[in-house]
Amino acid sequence: MRASILLFTFLFIAHAALAGDGKQYGKELTVKEVTKISDILAKPEIYNGKRILVEGNIVDVCKERGCWIKIASDKDFESLVFKVDDGVITFPLDAKGKKAHGEGVLSVKTFTKEQLIESGKKHAEKEKQEFDPASIKGPKTVIQLKGEGAVID
Amino acid sequence: MIKWRKWNNILHRDIGYTITMLTLVYGISGIAVNHTADWNPNYQLQKESFSLEPVKGTATPEMKQNVMSQLNLKDEPKSVFRPDPETIQLFYQGRTYTVDIPTGKGIIEHVRPRSVLFEFNQLHLNTPKKAWTWFADAYAASLIIVAITGLFVLKGKNGITGRGAFFSIVGVVIPAVYWIWYQYL
Repeated sequence: MRASILLFTFLFIAHAALAGDGKQYGKELTVKEVTKISDILAKPEIYNGKRILVEGNIVDVCKERGCWIKIASDKDFESLVFKVDDGVITFPLDAKGKKAHGEGVLSVKTFTKEQLIESGKKHAEKEKQEFDPASIKGPKTVIQLKGEGAVID
Repeated sequence: MIKWRKWNNILHRDIGYTITMLTLVYGISGIAVNHTADWNPNYQLQKESFSLEPVKGTATPEMKQNVMSQLNLKDEPKSVFRPDPETIQLFYQGRTYTVDIPTGKGIIEHVRPRSVLFEFNQLHLNTPKKAWTWFADAYAASLIIVAITGLFVLKGKNGITGRGAFFSIVGVVIPAVYWIWYQYL
């Protein structure tokens, strides 16, 4: 009986400590001005390597480790991946649909067809999925924000 | 008779009692998060498919209303997203509706935190940061004290000079051999 009371008290305190909105993840935000995701995606080379702040609704979260979120652009059919190093920040899976402000350094990298096939094979092997190298049609530019801090409403 | 063993055993016993709960938390969570490739240790994910009439409307707000009406959803979603011209997503707390606009076929994804394990994992992985970092440091220091004092609880043939020496060496050899194999072989 006493053990049960202790366990429930512990869980209640832990839950209360972990609950709440407007949560800070990682470092505090320092950039004041928001850059529109649509502007970044339109001319990524301008922002490559720069520290920026973006805002938008979270439309996807890394299911395995919570190590990235996808933030919707201010325009339809666009989004930006906000990627953090594994373990540094763990985003909750139920953050989908919430509004986020994320700060980090923009990374723009172009991968060759061969690099994409190699990486696709490794990913498929890890995920135990099938991979068709023919699905890779050519080089691809990956734009993501190397995230350092975020606030989720 | 020197009194260091008495104080050693008192420290081992009382710190041991104090950290029992946290050791269970870290141990259970440790097993859970070791296997993230096989499951999500924090959340239960469930997907259900459904079928609607093709979604009507030309702009996103109209399409959202049409989907809500077809699914009989009364509450406004937290947000709506169009990942591509043929898909609309409605986000509610703990569930996401993804609908293929031309066919009306869709999927509901339910996300629920796993009871108990969610809290255990958050504490183990120090998600709260701030004060919990200090608690976690104190816990780690306590574990070190319990481990060292544990070596000297017993004396005689079951102590560190007898049986204890054998098992302590086994505890050193296992990680050392594994690391050499992992790093160099």
